[in-house]
Amino acid sequence: MISYIWDNYFRKDSAERNELEVLRNCYLFETLSKKELRFLKETVHVRTYRPGEIVFRQGELGIGMYIIVRGAIEIFIETNTPETPSDATLFVTRLVSGDFFGELSLIENNSRRTATAIASEETSLIGFFKPDLMDIVDRQPATGVKILMRLGEVLGRRLKETTLKVSELKRELKRLGEKTP
Amino acid sequence: MKPTARQLELRRLNRLRLIGIIVILITLLVIILAVENLLVSSLLAFVIAYLLGPLVNYLERNGANRVGATVLVFAAAAIVLALVALGVFPYIGNALAGLQTEAPKYISGFSKLTQDGENRFSEVLGPISNSIHPTQYIESTLTSWTQNFFDQLPKFLKQFFTVMLLGPFLAFFMVKDGRSILRNLLGIVPNNTFEAALSLLHQINQQVGSFVRARLLEALIVGFVTWVGLALIQFPFAILLGVFAGLTNLIPYIGPVIGFVPALVIGLVNGLSSVDLALLILVYLIAQVIDVVFLIPVVVAKIVDLHPVTVIIVIIAGSQILGVLGMIISIPVAATLKVTIGTIYRHVTESRA
Repeated sequence: MISYIWDNYFRKDSAERNELEVLRNCYLFETLSKKELRFLKETVHVRTYRPGEIVFRQGELGIGMYIIVRGAIEIFIETNTPETPSDATLFVTRLVSGDFFGELSLIENNSRRTATAIASEETSLIGFFKPDLMDIVDRQPATGVKILMRLGEVLGRRLKETTLKVSELKRELKRLGEKTP
Repeated sequence: MKPTARQLELRRLNRLRLIGIIVILITLLVIILAVENLLVSSLLAFVIAYLLGPLVNYLERNGANRVGATVLVFAAAAIVLALVALGVFPYIGNALAGLQTEAPKYISGFSKLTQDGENRFSEVLGPISNSIHPTQYIESTLTSWTQNFFDQLPKFLKQFFTVMLLGPFLAFFMVKDGRSILRNLLGIVPNNTFEAALSLLHQINQQVGSFVRARLLEALIVGFVTWVGLALIQFPFAILLGVFAGLTNLIPYIGPVIGFVPALVIGLVNGLSSVDLALLILVYLIAQVIDVVFLIPVVVAKIVDLHPVTVIIVIIAGSQILGVLGMIISIPVAATLKVTIGTIYRHVTESRA
């Protein structure tokens, strides 16, 4: 049920691609020209993770997003409610090459990660962070605007999906309430 | 989520990598401190990079590529500096030569002033003051200082030109390749501390950049106002005193007082009338009023606040380690340390919150 937030609606294909291709095919950067993509590639950070290595932990401060170049990332949510044991974790989804996650931290101030991301195999990620975005906006504002427009679209889409899901759950709750004598 | 055995092993490897990076950074720091002129050149390079970086970004925003924009800005800055040097150096040279010739006059004049003071002191206190003879001590100290200053001048000029060549050279590469150098440096940071390190570097860069630009602009305006004011009242060595007032203004609290002392000594020795003395004080007061009323609230608002006691301790420590240069750079260094420690502390506490 929770996986709809993390599912990538913008996935192109799962084949392994090199970093520039991954950036070109990422929904956020689709509108960028070749020159702008090369500039972006000089700005982002490529990180490699071993199987089982944590990319980020739920509740940690986050400053940006990751795009999967190769490998896979599993997303978990830790449920520390009174009803569940403190160490209970809920598997949410598995993301593969071309998918991206953590984009909310790019614009939110003092953003905290809402889930834990763990590499499930040897994984290569492109990290794109707030200082990088600010640098692009400062040095190439036109490129920055293109990225921000797409980022707005992605966040809008996530919000729309969340609103739909909340409405659905409310209807479900109402229906259950009516059934209960 | 409990860490698995593999994750614990990865954590251990990450810790080792972090220790490796700290060792590399400490080694770099030791090299900078050990190699002659490298510390001052690096500091100058940072100052130049923080000043010219925004201009390069501006050109890049308007379509220029990074390399071209950096070359253009540095070339323009070099031409402007060369023109200023051509105009100002002969003037400063003449002023220094004049000062060297007239130094004995000022020392003896100053000694006469202290002698007069001592005589008056004796008249009031009588035999008690016979054991106190400050004039002789002041005269010998001032003579030795002046002698040392002019003896050390060729060595100082050699160091000055080395730093003036090395500083801009380092600054050029800092502006042109700074981002890729930082990116490569961040590349060796372990995954678990990478985001924190990037965020920390960004915050330090922003705050130190604003700090350096604001303080230099403040010093430039105070120096310029002092120079113009002294020139208007036709006071000798106006440009030298203006440059000195601007530089000493970088030292908080006591800087403006230090900046005023040479002008006061020159004025007293030349036997200024009370009106001229009032005008001299007025020039320095106007410069300080402009600084306190306009520059500090508007331009220097981003400066990190340090407690007055901390400032005094830091200045004394700076002067003990690096002399006058230490006094000037002690506050920016302390402010940088405060920002760094504060950011690391915030990151650690907020991450655990």
